[in-house]
Amino acid sequence: MAVSSPPIKGRHRKACSTDLLDQIILLSKLEQTMNDIDSDSATALDASLITPAAVSETAEKKATALKARFAKILSASDTKPVVADDLPTHFTFGIERIDAALRGNAVADGLPRAALHEIHAAEKADMTSAAAMSLLLAERCQTDKPILWISEGGEARRQGRLYPPGIAELGIDPDAIIHVDAADSITGLRAAADGVRSSAMGVVILELAGKKPKGLDMTATRRLSLSAQKSGVLNLLLRSGADMENPLPTAAFSRWQVSAAPSVPLEANAPGHSAFDISLLRHRSGLYGLSAQLEWNRDNHAFRERQAGEAAPDFGVVPALFADRTDHPDTRAA
Amino acid sequence: MALFLPYLPTERIIRTRGQPKAPFVLTDKQRGAVVITAPDRQAVALGLGVGMKLADARARVPDLLAFEHDMLADAQLLDRLAEACERYTPIVAAAPPHSLILDITGAQHFYHSEEALARDAEDRLDATGYSAHWALAETPDAALALARHGLKQGAEAQLPVSALDMNAKTHQALERAGLYRIGDLSERPRANLAARFGMELTLRLDRLLGIEDRPIDPTRSLGNVIAERRFPEPLTHIDAALIVLEELFMEASIQLEQRGHGARMIRIMLFRCDGDIARLGLETGASTRDAALFKRLLRERIDVLNDELNPGFGYDLIRLSVVATQPLAVKQLKLEGGEDRQEDEAAMVSQLSTRMGRDQVQKFQPANSHIPEQGMFALPCLDVPSAAPWQIPPSDSPPVRPLHMFDPPQRVQVIAEVPDGPPHRFTWRRKAHQVVRYEGPERIASEWWQRKDGQQSGKGGLTRDYYRVEDVKGRRYWLFRHGLYGEEKTNPDWYLHGLFA
Repeated sequence: MAVSSPPIKGRHRKACSTDLLDQIILLSKLEQTMNDIDSDSATALDASLITPAAVSETAEKKATALKARFAKILSASDTKPVVADDLPTHFTFGIERIDAALRGNAVADGLPRAALHEIHAAEKADMTSAAAMSLLLAERCQTDKPILWISEGGEARRQGRLYPPGIAELGIDPDAIIHVDAADSITGLRAAADGVRSSAMGVVILELAGKKPKGLDMTATRRLSLSAQKSGVLNLLLRSGADMENPLPTAAFSRWQVSAAPSVPLEANAPGHSAFDISLLRHRSGLYGLSAQLEWNRDNHAFRERQAGEAAPDFGVVPALFADRTDHPDTRAA
Repeated sequence: MALFLPYLPTERIIRTRGQPKAPFVLTDKQRGAVVITAPDRQAVALGLGVGMKLADARARVPDLLAFEHDMLADAQLLDRLAEACERYTPIVAAAPPHSLILDITGAQHFYHSEEALARDAEDRLDATGYSAHWALAETPDAALALARHGLKQGAEAQLPVSALDMNAKTHQALERAGLYRIGDLSERPRANLAARFGMELTLRLDRLLGIEDRPIDPTRSLGNVIAERRFPEPLTHIDAALIVLEELFMEASIQLEQRGHGARMIRIMLFRCDGDIARLGLETGASTRDAALFKRLLRERIDVLNDELNPGFGYDLIRLSVVATQPLAVKQLKLEGGEDRQEDEAAMVSQLSTRMGRDQVQKFQPANSHIPEQGMFALPCLDVPSAAPWQIPPSDSPPVRPLHMFDPPQRVQVIAEVPDGPPHRFTWRRKAHQVVRYEGPERIASEWWQRKDGQQSGKGGLTRDYYRVEDVKGRRYWLFRHGLYGEEKTNPDWYLHGLFA
C-alpha cells in the first residue's frame, strides 16, 4: 500500500446528487444499447460462420446504426462509461489460466475494475474465507486509495469482527481500511452507494448476510454497478447465507463462490498458508464452470494455483501426541 | 446586563399546573423541619418569607397551599431561559438560583439602545409568564446586585451591604460598625477594610463598583466565527432556512479564509419566534471552507434527525457558529490538473459520519498490548490523527492472527488427549470439528501489572495457550485454553477466539 502512484489525470467526475435520477435513466438506456450491440454483433459473428455475406451485412448495418446512436447519446450526456485513469481497467488473479479465461470479449485479461462483483461464501462457516478473498482481490487492484468496508452491525457479532492484525497478516495495511458499521442492510446499501459514487475510495466492499437482505434487489445493485462504471471504483458485494440454488437476481458483473480449502501443511503438520476454493457461478459474457484452488502468498502479493492432489487432506494422520511427548523438538509428533 | 427572576420557582408551578386558588409556597425539608423556600407573590404580600417554617406560616395563613420544591427543575428551567436569551448575545450565563447574566457589549445595535434590548427581554419573559427585573452595569456582579435590589444603573452606592453576598456574620459586623450601604464602604480606605474583613470583601466591593471586572462563564463556549441573520418576518420554510444557512456559511468561510483556517465543527441554532430553539451540529473529517460540502452535510444531518425540524410559527433568528477550526491554507490547484484526493477522502468520511453517526465510521489503530483483543482500537475516523504503523509479519510464514475475531471469545467443548495437550476434537455452535493439523501452543500471559493482586504467583489472571488448528474441511480456527492445567486451574475451559482465512 505504500507504493506511490503517479498523479491521476483528467479524472472524470460529475456532481451526483442533483441529477442522479436522470443519469441513471440515461445510463440504463446506454447499457441497454450496449447490450443490443453486443448481442447483435454476436449473432452477426455466428451468422457469418455459417452463411456468407447476406445475413451478416444487415446485422452489421444494424450494429453500425446502433453504434452511431450510442455515440450520439454519449456525446449528449457528456459521460464516459469508464473513467480515464492511469490504473489498468482490469484486475487479475495473477494466474494465466484463469485470467485468460475471464477475458471473454473484453480488452484485457481478468475482471473489470469499474464494476460490481459478487462473492458468496459457500456456507456460513466460509464467511471468513470469502471476506479474505474480497480483501485480497481489493489488494490485487493495486489502488492506493482507501478500502471502504461496510458491514451490518448485527452480523458482526455473529461472525466476529474484522481483526486488523489479521488483515496485516494477509499483507494488507489495516490503515487503508475505513470500516463502517451499518445498522441494517438498507443503511449499508446507501453507504455503499455513496462510496461508489465518488472516486475518493479505491474499493467498496459491502458485507450482507442472510437469504434475502432487505433492500438488496435488481434496482439497488444496478445503481451500484452503474455508479461503479462511472467512478471506476471496484465494488464487491460479499454475501453469506444466500440461497445458492436460487440466488437473488442482481446486476453484478460476475458472481463467485468461495470456500475454505485445506492448506498445504508446514513442518510438524502445522496449518499452512491461506487456501481457497473458488468457482465462477455467473459472468456477464456467459463464462461458466471455472473453478480453481488458490493459495495466497503474502510476500509477493499474488495467488498461486494449486494442482489437484497437491494437498490431499490427510485425514488419517491425527496428531498422536501423548505417545512421544518429550522436550526434544525433533521428536515432536508429525 | 442581569435579569433577576424573583418568582421563578412559583411561576414555574403556575405555568405547569395553572394558578392555584389560594396563596402557595414551595417547601423543602431542612434539618427535619419543613421550611419555605419559595413563596409566591400573594404569600409574600401576606408577609411570608424564605426560611419561615411551614407550620408557622400555616398559623398565619390557614388556607396556605404547599408544594415540594423541585430544585433540579428550576435549574433546568434557568438553563433553558439562558439558551433562549442567546438570541440577544452569545455570551449568556446562568447565575443560580434566579438570575441570568448577559454580556450585551456591542450586541444592542438591533434594538438601538441597551435599554430597549433589556425591555424586549423583559417583555418576552413576561409573555411566557415569568416576571423579571433587569439592570445594566459595567460588571456582571454590579448588574446582578442592582437587579436583585430593584435598582438601576448608577445606584450602586445605595445597595445594602448584603449585596456583597458575604456570609451573614460579615454583614452583621459591617452593620454594627455603622456601614449600611455600599456607598459607606466605598469611601473607606481599602487597607483597613481588608485588615478587618479580609481580601474577599475588598475584591467583591471592587467588582460591585466596577473597578474590577470578572469574566463570565457562558453556558456554551463561544464559536470562533459567528454568522447570524435576523428576520423581520419569520421564515416558515425549512428550505428557505437552508439557503440562509448556506449564505451564513459562506460569510463565515470568508472570515475563516482571512485567518487561514477551515471549519472542523459547526453549530447551528435556529431560534423559533415562540422561544423554541433547534440545534444542529456538524463535524467534518478535515477542515473545510467548501460550501457545497457544507450543504451536502447539512442535508445529510437533517435527513437523519430523529424528530424532524418543525418551523412552527417560523424562525426569526438563525445563527451559525464555527466552534472548532484548523489551519487550512488557500488551495492551489495542481499544475498538471487532477484533483486533491485527500480532500475527496475527507469529504467522503465527513458525509458518512454525518449520516451514520460519528462512531459508526471507524479506522483501525494499533494498541500497545500483547493481549490479542486489546491489540487494536477502532476509533471514529474523524478523531484519528494520523496513520500509525502496523507490525509487519515476518515473510514466508502463514497468518498467525485471525481475520475475524470474536470478542468476547466463544466457549467451545474440546476433547484433548491430555489435559494440557492440543485439541483433538471440538464442538462449536453444536457442530463437531475434527482437528487435522495444529500448531501451538502460543502462550500469552495476562498483564499482571493491570491487576490488583497481580504480583502474587498465579493470581494475575489466567494464562492462555493458543492453538492454530485446521479441521477436515480446511477451515482454520484459533482456539485457546484458559488457564494452565494443574497450576492455575484444575479443569481449564476452551474458547474459540478467531477464524483464519
